[in-house]
Amino acid sequence: MKPVNFDYARPKDVAGVLPLIADDSRTVKIMAGGQSLGPMLNMRLVQPDLVVDITGIEELRQVVETPDAIVMGGCITHADIEDRRVPDMTRGALPAVAGGIAYRAVRNRGTIGGSITHADPSADWISILSALGATVTLRGPGGSRSVAVEDYMLGALEADLRPGEMLVSVSVPKLSVSARWGYYKSCRKTGEFAHAIGAFLVDPERGVSRAVFGATESRPIVIADARQLLGEGTATEPGRDFDSRLAGELVEAGGMSDPIDRQTHVVALRRAIQQAGSA
Amino acid sequence: MSMIHLTINGKPVDAACEPRTHLADFLRETNNLTGTHLGCEHGVCGACTILVDGVPTRSCITFAAACEGASVTTVEGLDDDDITSELRTAFSREHGLQCGYCTPGMLVSARDVVLRMDAPSEHDIRVAMSGNLCRCTGYVGIVRAIQGVIADRRARGIAAVAGGGRTRLGPAGSGNASTAKEAAGASKAAAVAAVKPAGQPRTAARKDDNWKPQTTFEQSFTVAHPTDVVWDFFGRVDEVAACLPGASLNGAPEGGPGGDEHVEGQIKVKVGPISAEFHGAADITRDEATRTGVIDGTGKDKRSNSATRGQIRYAVKEAETPGETRVDVAIGFTLSGVLAQFSRSGLVQDVANRLIGVFVQNLEARLAHQAGGGDADSAPVAAEFNAGSLMSSVIVGQVKQFFARLFRRG
Amino acid sequence: MTAQDVKQQGVGASLLRKEDDRLLRGRGQFVADIRLAGMKDVAFVRSPLAHARVNGVHVPDALRERVVIAEDLKDVKPIRAVSGLAGFKPSDQPILAFEKVRQVGELLAMCVADTRAEAEDMIEAVDLDLEELPAVHDMLAARKPGSALLHEEWGDNVFLETFVDINFEAALDAPIKVTREISTARQSMAPMEGRGTVAVWDKRMEQLVLYTGSQMPHIVRTGLAECLGLGQHQVRIVSPDVGGGFGYKGILLPEDICLGWYAMRCGHPVRWIEDRREHLTAGANCREHHYIITGYADRDGKLLGVDCEATVDSGAYSSYPFSACLEAAQVASILPGPYDFPSYRCRTWSVATNKCPILPYRGVARTGVCYAIELVMDAIARETGLEPHEVRLKNLVGPEQMPFDNITKKHFDSGDYPEALRRAMAAIDLPALRARQNEGEPDGRLIGIGQAIYCEQGAHGTSVYAGWGIPMVPGHEQATARMTPDGGLELRVGVHSHGQSMETTLPQIAHEILGIDVSRIKLVHGDTEYTPYSTGSWGSRCAVMAGGAVATASREIAKLAKGIGAHLLQAKPDQVELVDGRVVGPSGSVSLQEIAHTWYRLPQNLPDGVDPRGLEATIGHKPVRDSGTFSYAAHVAVVAVDPEMGDIEILDYVIVEDGGKLINPMVVDGQIYGGLAQGIGTALYEEMNFDASGQPLASTFADYLLPGPTEVPAPRLDHMETLAPYTEFGVKGIGEGGAIAPPAAIGNAVNDALKGLGVELTQTPMTPRRVLEAIGKAASGKAGASADMTAQGELA
Repeated sequence: MKPVNFDYARPKDVAGVLPLIADDSRTVKIMAGGQSLGPMLNMRLVQPDLVVDITGIEELRQVVETPDAIVMGGCITHADIEDRRVPDMTRGALPAVAGGIAYRAVRNRGTIGGSITHADPSADWISILSALGATVTLRGPGGSRSVAVEDYMLGALEADLRPGEMLVSVSVPKLSVSARWGYYKSCRKTGEFAHAIGAFLVDPERGVSRAVFGATESRPIVIADARQLLGEGTATEPGRDFDSRLAGELVEAGGMSDPIDRQTHVVALRRAIQQAGSA
Repeated sequence: MSMIHLTINGKPVDAACEPRTHLADFLRETNNLTGTHLGCEHGVCGACTILVDGVPTRSCITFAAACEGASVTTVEGLDDDDITSELRTAFSREHGLQCGYCTPGMLVSARDVVLRMDAPSEHDIRVAMSGNLCRCTGYVGIVRAIQGVIADRRARGIAAVAGGGRTRLGPAGSGNASTAKEAAGASKAAAVAAVKPAGQPRTAARKDDNWKPQTTFEQSFTVAHPTDVVWDFFGRVDEVAACLPGASLNGAPEGGPGGDEHVEGQIKVKVGPISAEFHGAADITRDEATRTGVIDGTGKDKRSNSATRGQIRYAVKEAETPGETRVDVAIGFTLSGVLAQFSRSGLVQDVANRLIGVFVQNLEARLAHQAGGGDADSAPVAAEFNAGSLMSSVIVGQVKQFFARLFRRG
Repeated sequence: MTAQDVKQQGVGASLLRKEDDRLLRGRGQFVADIRLAGMKDVAFVRSPLAHARVNGVHVPDALRERVVIAEDLKDVKPIRAVSGLAGFKPSDQPILAFEKVRQVGELLAMCVADTRAEAEDMIEAVDLDLEELPAVHDMLAARKPGSALLHEEWGDNVFLETFVDINFEAALDAPIKVTREISTARQSMAPMEGRGTVAVWDKRMEQLVLYTGSQMPHIVRTGLAECLGLGQHQVRIVSPDVGGGFGYKGILLPEDICLGWYAMRCGHPVRWIEDRREHLTAGANCREHHYIITGYADRDGKLLGVDCEATVDSGAYSSYPFSACLEAAQVASILPGPYDFPSYRCRTWSVATNKCPILPYRGVARTGVCYAIELVMDAIARETGLEPHEVRLKNLVGPEQMPFDNITKKHFDSGDYPEALRRAMAAIDLPALRARQNEGEPDGRLIGIGQAIYCEQGAHGTSVYAGWGIPMVPGHEQATARMTPDGGLELRVGVHSHGQSMETTLPQIAHEILGIDVSRIKLVHGDTEYTPYSTGSWGSRCAVMAGGAVATASREIAKLAKGIGAHLLQAKPDQVELVDGRVVGPSGSVSLQEIAHTWYRLPQNLPDGVDPRGLEATIGHKPVRDSGTFSYAAHVAVVAVDPEMGDIEILDYVIVEDGGKLINPMVVDGQIYGGLAQGIGTALYEEMNFDASGQPLASTFADYLLPGPTEVPAPRLDHMETLAPYTEFGVKGIGEGGAIAPPAAIGNAVNDALKGLGVELTQTPMTPRRVLEAIGKAASGKAGASADMTAQGELA
């Protein structure tokens, strides 16, 4: 389990990366923390000609606070978020979820940008960031554009990157003080790939009520207005009137044909919502 | 090869290293620090855990070149470390090791838990240690040892250090290098990959009546054109192949027309960072009497040592509406080798199923197009298979339909 | 050193381990840590297909020198492990496959390069021309006529079929009859260190030296020499620190032979280190059992008979030395376990499939057998309305019956099985749990209580193995004890420690007899050049056999030392005694150190008639009766099942174990804890699935789940110490037991939790999906036609 030979580049800025990844005469792979790519390289599932290490780029390791969001460079690690080296404006949602990603040694190198670009359906960031309404900023030859996280993921292992484009930052909206969230993932053992994820956010001040079914083997199923799932839509006790049948129909419509998968995803979301209710 | 510079166990080290060399191999093979063990080489078992810039890191999935300028500490460098010394005593007292293979990584992670966590419960410790697997001890002694050291240190007034004292943002080991860098892998000319594989025998698709595919997919559709035309279309192998995204043929079919034919070619499939190119052959058998045909194909992807085998059966018959033709297509395939050997087959199956879905769509579109008088070359087919975009379109479509239904209902 | 300190080091002392220091400082030496000048790395070209005709393995001319293929090994014999049992069909396992491959991962060529990465690069240049054949992946289908055949010359796929019928007819009229189909998944043993081999030709010694992580270096030497056509004096096997074995390293590998052959010709050392993908895809080799079993009982729960058809998936070849039938053939004899009943019938099949050859994994055959019989005992309890422990207590052999020959003539040496179960049940407070169970959990989970009891036959002797007629039959286990000139002691044994702590426990035994401080007793093992022949470490035999041999050899040293001491004390040998490391006579005493100094350094002070054997002895040991020791334990599990998600949490786990005299209780506890973790893996997590073309569906630890710290509870242990009547100190083998009962105890607990839903799981691992499927199936069975699972789950 040793990788194929590849060339290696460590540009000092994003401008240095773009020409390298624009070269389609060879297979070029961007590497951030390498915690998902590393295993695939070792197993030779991925056989690049060139690996572009972006962890030397200062811009990608920075955090900027705007009036209504926290903007994290793509190379911010799970541990940076878990340890609150990145200020938390999500009422604890991001640090809590970060602390449950894989294992500490992995979190010390694994990055938020790398994780969502790798687009593993079972990974945590895709689900919780979709629930929080986060966006990513991509930069390429044609300049920058922003995309909602759930749209950035096109499907299993496929992100919406145009030729020559890379992710530079993730922007997470600041939650109101009355906001509540819940996150439930079903794993057979600690740190394992999730088999079902439920994520939920209610932020009445901002008029947001979002629910996400994650770990679907594909992109997450996002319910942008989750009030329909919650009976009258009151946020006082959101778990109580959860409409399991409707939730089941939603995941089925989202392409989930297996009844047990549907059941576990519905229960995961219900538990996430209950968690928010009891928080 | 290029030179890299690290501080290992307090000493500066300059050594040559290929970009593909992970930190564990660099420590073990280049620096003879064999205390760092490899247990899985894919970041799950934790045996290779070491400290990079003071925090635990998987050395098997961290490339040495990516840690340029970093400070690396292995178990050999922890001889005089306070916490580790206390842990060693406690591990021995609690019988927290048997074969000792996981132990170096276990100590590094345990040290981190002792350092960072102020008053963890037994369960907290277990969760925090879950990235280190031990096959001998059942973790009983390991957990007790860590509990004991934490209790002892806190009793001595030594507090936990949040975040293990790390202040810098970004991946452990990164950001130390002062300059940008480019390095080439070992001279590829000399590398073996450049050696051409030995004589390629003519590939045969090898028909086998008993073969059953792992996955099958059936679809029927009707085209507004006479049966003869549709039957002839299926007789042109290159056109059928053109409907299969990523497929291409090497030259003209041998044998036939009309009779049994043999073609060679390849199909490219890309799923995220994984790409495979299956080279192989197909044998085509057609039965005029029943208007049915079978295409048996096999292909190998050399790079991943994987193979696929597939079969397309088709039947062409008159539809109920005169002048229209009903086409029944059954496609089956089996994947073998490295690419098949994962439990998350849902992903692979999903991609394969969608690939087949596009094939049928293309087939339908091409037939309709030609039936409508268009020529073959301008037929509207998806030329390259793109797993992601397809998936999204399929699912978005389904969700939209669903909401439409829901709101009508509501 | 006071007398008190000395006593704290002997048999029964929880002495801290001597091996810990180097392992805790990263200074152990495992195979991959060995550095030899000029060493090159090996990567194997392995079959991607489970069953195929090999039409060609094409190597580019430029690489031909560094790639070994089957035609190079014309003079090498295949691996052949034959059983002497009637009807056994032998298989030849090629070193490098030619003609056919019969499993994914089978070796086709060996690539040698400066680094492993470069050797892996070479794999891509080797072109395989394989013609796929239908794969045999289902052992039950493989038994049927018309199945594809692995070894065509056999005419079927059955290595061995056995049948036993003991007064079975008598059971047929029993009022209660429960039949279950029960199965356990195929597993990988997954020691944290995989296999590995370094081979080099020693020019001076004219010897092939093979460093390989092995539980049985002497057996590997014998097998390797036979395959390569060498005299055994031309082969030296060194097994350095071994990172866990569990049975996985109790085998002669084709890789060993390939590297050995090459090292004899290439002029430099070669190294192969198995990676995890190789381990998982080519080495999933244990535990796949299938049972159709019926228990016959009366209405009071008294067992009247057992009828069983057992099939074991033995994989493609018969592995050296244990053979392909070791599990299935054992099933018939060990299924009755500690239960006393009058009628029995059992038919077994060892079936060849396109999977890797089966090896004995910790608890060999017993884990599956215990799961089968213990599920049936609970089924009988449910049928009779009795508590499961009451049914067991009615059928367990009683202490007054010991020693006891059970229905299959297994000789139970000692013990009180009912007491172990009673103690374990007392520890969990059954009435309180039943009350809690009836009340229901606030979080909606369902709790259940399960139990299992088993016996572990350890230290199988000549009489047990001779009947099997496999290439390895244990005889007298030997040890060498040798005093050093400074008064220290060397012990040399042919077994090998790979986590069992023998560097500590065997010196404890010598210390018990000689009084020499354990820090001055060195265990020499893992090297055929320095140790007496042994079948190695397997079958819970080291404490009994090697321990017995060390005791015997130490006594001989004591006798020799007393002879010299008596002379120095000017006394007669029968006037002196050895006390705490000193020979004490009527008029004074002399230390062993002085005695050794005299023997080695001052022989002029000894009379001519002194025993010329000096202070060195190699002596063999066999227990008084060699039918094996019978340790046993009762396991009781309390679990909570989440009926919505299918998750199972172990809330409490109690083990009451009887291992006879414990040499080092801390080490014994460690063996039980570790065994339990593996048993939990079998029960809940570990499974190597294969698809219909024989592809293994796990190649990483993300696919193949090993229990981690949060999946394993800290169990409560209690010991009974019924001394074994036939062994030194009354020791019994206990190394495997922890791994035997957990699937049965947890399985029964899960079924107890789900009984209200009408659910009974009879397949391991009990994954969330299996739990939910079973709940759904039971619910739809009740509700009638196709129930909506989502709705069902929500109602549950």
